[in-house]
Amino acid sequence: MRRDFLKWCASAGLGLAVPTFHGTAPAFDDGDDVGAYDGPFYVVCNASGGWDTTYLMDPKGVDGINRLYQQGDILTHGELHFAPTAEHISEGMSNEDFFTKYAPELLVLNGLDYSVNNHAPCSRYVATGHLDSPAYPTFAALVAACRGPACPLAFLTFGNYSATGNLVPMARVPYIPSLKLLANADSVQGIDRHSYHDVFVSDHIDRALAEQRQRRKLQPVLPRRQRAESMLYAAQLNSKSLARITPHIPKSIPKDSLSQQAEIALASFKAGVCVSANLTIGQFDSHQKNDEDQMRLLPRFLSSIDYLLRRAEDLQIREKLILVIQSEMARTPTYNKGNGKDHWSVGSMMFLGPGIQGNRAVGSTDKGQLPVPVNAQTLALDPENGLRIRPEHIHTALRQLADIDEHPFSQQFAFKLKDTEVLRGFWA
Amino acid sequence: MVRFPYSLLWSTAVWTVACTTARTDQPPTAAGAVAVAVSDSPGCFGTSTFRDSWIKVGERICLKCHVSGGDATDSKFRLRDVFRVAAAERAATVTQNCDAFTRMALAREADGRSRLIVKATGGLDHGGGEVLPAGSTELRVLQEFVESLKRKSPESHAGGSVDADDLTSFFDGVDMLSHQRLLRRVSLSLVARLPNDSERQAVQSHGLNALEAVLTTMMKEDAFYQRLQEGFNDIFLTLGYNGNGEAVLSYNHFHQTRHWYQKHSLDHLPENERQRARYKLADQYREALRREPLELLRYIVEQNRPFSEILTADYTMVSPYTARGYGIFEELQGQFQDPDDPFDYIPAKLTALKHRDGSIQPTDDGHYPHCGVLSMFQYLRRYPTTETNRNRLRARMYYQHFLGVDIMSLAPRVSDAAAIDAAYEVPTLQAAECVVCHRTIDPVAGLFQDYYNEDGHYGPRKDGWFTDMFGAGREGLDLPEAQRWRSLQWLAEQTVTDPRFAIAMAEHVYYILMGRNVVRPPTDIDDVAFAARRRACLAQRELIEHAAKAFTDSDFNLKVIFQQLIVSSFYRADGVSAARLDPQRMAELDDVGVVRLLSPEQIERKIAAVFGESWGRLDKSYAILYGGIDSREVTERLTEPSGAVGALQRILANDVACRHVAADFALPPDERRLFPGIQPDVVPGTSDAAAEKKIRGAIVHLHQKILGRYDSPADPEVDQTYRLFTGIVEEANSEGKFQPVESYFCKSSGQEGPRDPDSHYTMRAWRAVVTYLLRQPDFLYE
Repeated sequence: MRRDFLKWCASAGLGLAVPTFHGTAPAFDDGDDVGAYDGPFYVVCNASGGWDTTYLMDPKGVDGINRLYQQGDILTHGELHFAPTAEHISEGMSNEDFFTKYAPELLVLNGLDYSVNNHAPCSRYVATGHLDSPAYPTFAALVAACRGPACPLAFLTFGNYSATGNLVPMARVPYIPSLKLLANADSVQGIDRHSYHDVFVSDHIDRALAEQRQRRKLQPVLPRRQRAESMLYAAQLNSKSLARITPHIPKSIPKDSLSQQAEIALASFKAGVCVSANLTIGQFDSHQKNDEDQMRLLPRFLSSIDYLLRRAEDLQIREKLILVIQSEMARTPTYNKGNGKDHWSVGSMMFLGPGIQGNRAVGSTDKGQLPVPVNAQTLALDPENGLRIRPEHIHTALRQLADIDEHPFSQQFAFKLKDTEVLRGFWA
Repeated sequence: MVRFPYSLLWSTAVWTVACTTARTDQPPTAAGAVAVAVSDSPGCFGTSTFRDSWIKVGERICLKCHVSGGDATDSKFRLRDVFRVAAAERAATVTQNCDAFTRMALAREADGRSRLIVKATGGLDHGGGEVLPAGSTELRVLQEFVESLKRKSPESHAGGSVDADDLTSFFDGVDMLSHQRLLRRVSLSLVARLPNDSERQAVQSHGLNALEAVLTTMMKEDAFYQRLQEGFNDIFLTLGYNGNGEAVLSYNHFHQTRHWYQKHSLDHLPENERQRARYKLADQYREALRREPLELLRYIVEQNRPFSEILTADYTMVSPYTARGYGIFEELQGQFQDPDDPFDYIPAKLTALKHRDGSIQPTDDGHYPHCGVLSMFQYLRRYPTTETNRNRLRARMYYQHFLGVDIMSLAPRVSDAAAIDAAYEVPTLQAAECVVCHRTIDPVAGLFQDYYNEDGHYGPRKDGWFTDMFGAGREGLDLPEAQRWRSLQWLAEQTVTDPRFAIAMAEHVYYILMGRNVVRPPTDIDDVAFAARRRACLAQRELIEHAAKAFTDSDFNLKVIFQQLIVSSFYRADGVSAARLDPQRMAELDDVGVVRLLSPEQIERKIAAVFGESWGRLDKSYAILYGGIDSREVTERLTEPSGAVGALQRILANDVACRHVAADFALPPDERRLFPGIQPDVVPGTSDAAAEKKIRGAIVHLHQKILGRYDSPADPEVDQTYRLFTGIVEEANSEGKFQPVESYFCKSSGQEGPRDPDSHYTMRAWRAVVTYLLRQPDFLYE
């Protein structure tokens, strides 16, 4: 039901509110009317702990790097190479099935140099593109702040490194049933027909809060208080648009965690209340029994990504979904005494979505799993004079893909790359 | 090659060490100043450009090594850390640094280039290699300094002074909270209640002078200790260790006692109640075990013991239930006030652990070598180790928790980590780029070697400690073999005499009070507000150092830090007098003032303080949704409200108002919390001045009670609320179609009773007013 308050807001120039944040001036302020966000939607799928890329998109099969297959067993689909896993898994999605289904859309990056090999700095680096500064926002937070700051769940996170750079609040919605509650905040127990207040009373309350906000904006206050009042007002007012989620809340709840996260994100995307989401599953840190762990987790991970894409198809937002598939590090080319593999600072990423030309692999690692530099202009391998591709290069490209590279927020958290370090034609 | 392991830790340096506490390796001269290599000094005459060079290059980069005790301590280019000298010496120290910079800048190499530039870019065999890459802003800044000297003459600028970061004016134009509002803030924050009359009167009469005594009393209340424990759990996260509570007790050492509740006699209960009682027994036992580290904190503070005992206490805390788990209940039971209370904690010592194979933990005194939190099973299990991690996580957490150093934020970029891994057999011992950090981390990790068990339990590694690591010790000091059995106690003793310990504790209390960590030094020197942010950081650093010194001087009385921070301008800042601040001043004041989104626990306590009972929904199901933590997977609180939080705030406001408005009106006026001075039959009318006065009076009371505002009846905020109330009543009555009773869901008498009469719609209007107030920043923020 459209309430009088919203009409009043519109007439008074008070549409959905955008909070004022730290640093650069916001793109909008309280007076701008921002409707449902219609995409593109960004999902970062994170394999937390460090996946073994040689069992996925960067197969080796030489020098004892992999015990489950040999070099001759490596499979190919189009331009993409991958490790065979179908014979080694008991559940989830095999590489064979995943690449058969998605290779035409997948862009694979191999030979990503994380520079360090500890979880915390690596997680920060791969998520933000900046190794040394905890102030930098993750790509998911940045794109949410640039694209849909008025969305009540603009940046959803389910874990992983989630710094926001103070640009946008992070939202945690841990359970699917929580969505129903949030969608009906003015009703007793979330039951729509049992409103706490009569409709006109709710409108009076909202109007009083809006007037108070307008009045207080003119008063000199400390910067923190100014931000806090802006954020609070925006959070409450914009939360009303969560009502749009109701028809998209799934009736059945999938079993695995990543798929549950996917459902919450997709319902929020579909309702136009969310721009980006960090999805994550853990336990990839296979210092012991590497092959067992990776063969258990990778298929689950791929299966959940498949679930996400299928459900996005059902909701008719698949063509607006951009996926970044990553882990904070990779595993060593050798096994340790516990049949595990330790941290390795050279890894891979995968990308899929509109604007991304699939069936391509950029970069490479050599037989020792060391990165092969790339010519940034042509993306051809150039061991002698090429560029070691690092997270800042990828994040620069991601910002270009999202068309936010010139946004003041991106400028506020710039990477300061030389022109020759910017990857040309990375996406297509 | 980079080579500054210990100075790396100190060099965050500039910011992390008490300025008034000299390090042992940096003795002051009799005059309090460290000798600076001065010869043929041309003097500091490029003062204006020097400042920029100093704060953007010298302080951040050169000082890491070119300081007494640093890796370049033998260099003629010696600098001093401005923030590790007394404030009175600061100006002279800056000038000395300027002298040193100037001499280096004027020294010319054969090709005419300034030695300062040549060295910084890696020339002349600079020990630190290339520290300023070509094209960097830092190099440009340094070059500008050198160039500026060419344009000036020493004679014409002799005696010039450099801005020495005078912070005395930092709070100019900042308004402070009134004493009454400060009292309310502190009271709600520390003891989860509103101030009582005597506290209000004391502060009314004596202002801030009365606050110390008020705080002293408050910090004896049970609620304060709950708050303290909650705050420190945010930091240590010990409530979040994996598994059931009793998982901290190893099978090897406590196999006969750790599951005592399974066999505990419940014969005194009817048979059909025993299973349920046993579940309760287990739950309480597990919770009691989980709480032990926080109970140690409480005991230390409550007994006014030195807070250094969080590392040096030669005892642990046990309750009647946990004592049974350790197998020491029988010997202690006479000491408990209530042997049946699962949470009646007392200090106790464990004997050396006896393995089920009969072997006994080697000790010199027959006791488990307790050292506060550090040796508690819960802490060790919360930060477990693996065969590859080798206790390095514990070393990292030790640095973070007890010295305030985030090792991971210091991890330098290496040129090719994978190549190093491939090239060296043991990179952490052999590769310079790895050694930088591992020389510091690994010795501390080695001190935990007797706790080498993936479940976090006691037990040395079967194959002996790793030989391909730096040996056990701490920052250049090897662990003496005689101390081997008590290595963590040795570490604790080293730690509490380290000035960083007091700083870290002051920062922890700052986090508890402010809801956020101290700001980090700015790193982006291209930021136009760099200098302003640096100044803000320094001002905050000065506060922390001041509190840390008071803490140290009081023999580590933690309450002293609370006292110091609460009366500080950072905590009391409430507004600005200027109508508009310029951007630089905005940046300086960016982190000033509390202004924290209350945590779910704090909101619940505040509701209880104002309304008489908590809401009860943020404690449980909605805690994570509202930004809370579970101490395990979710470990950082949300500090900014998303739309999800905004929706929950609407639910909260609706529901709390629903529960309490009709219920309050149903009480006799003198028992009411919300509406002691008005009845539902007071209806606003255009010509009824008496009614308006009563309504405004009721609003003033609600503003004071719920928001902590002390408004006059004519205040614009009261006007706003009055318009809300009257607008609702008028609109309802103009329509004339409402039911003459309050909502079924908001009845005063609970579910079974009748609906409350509301023939004028005023009760619902008052409920709307309370809803409106509960949604405001004055309620939801501190």
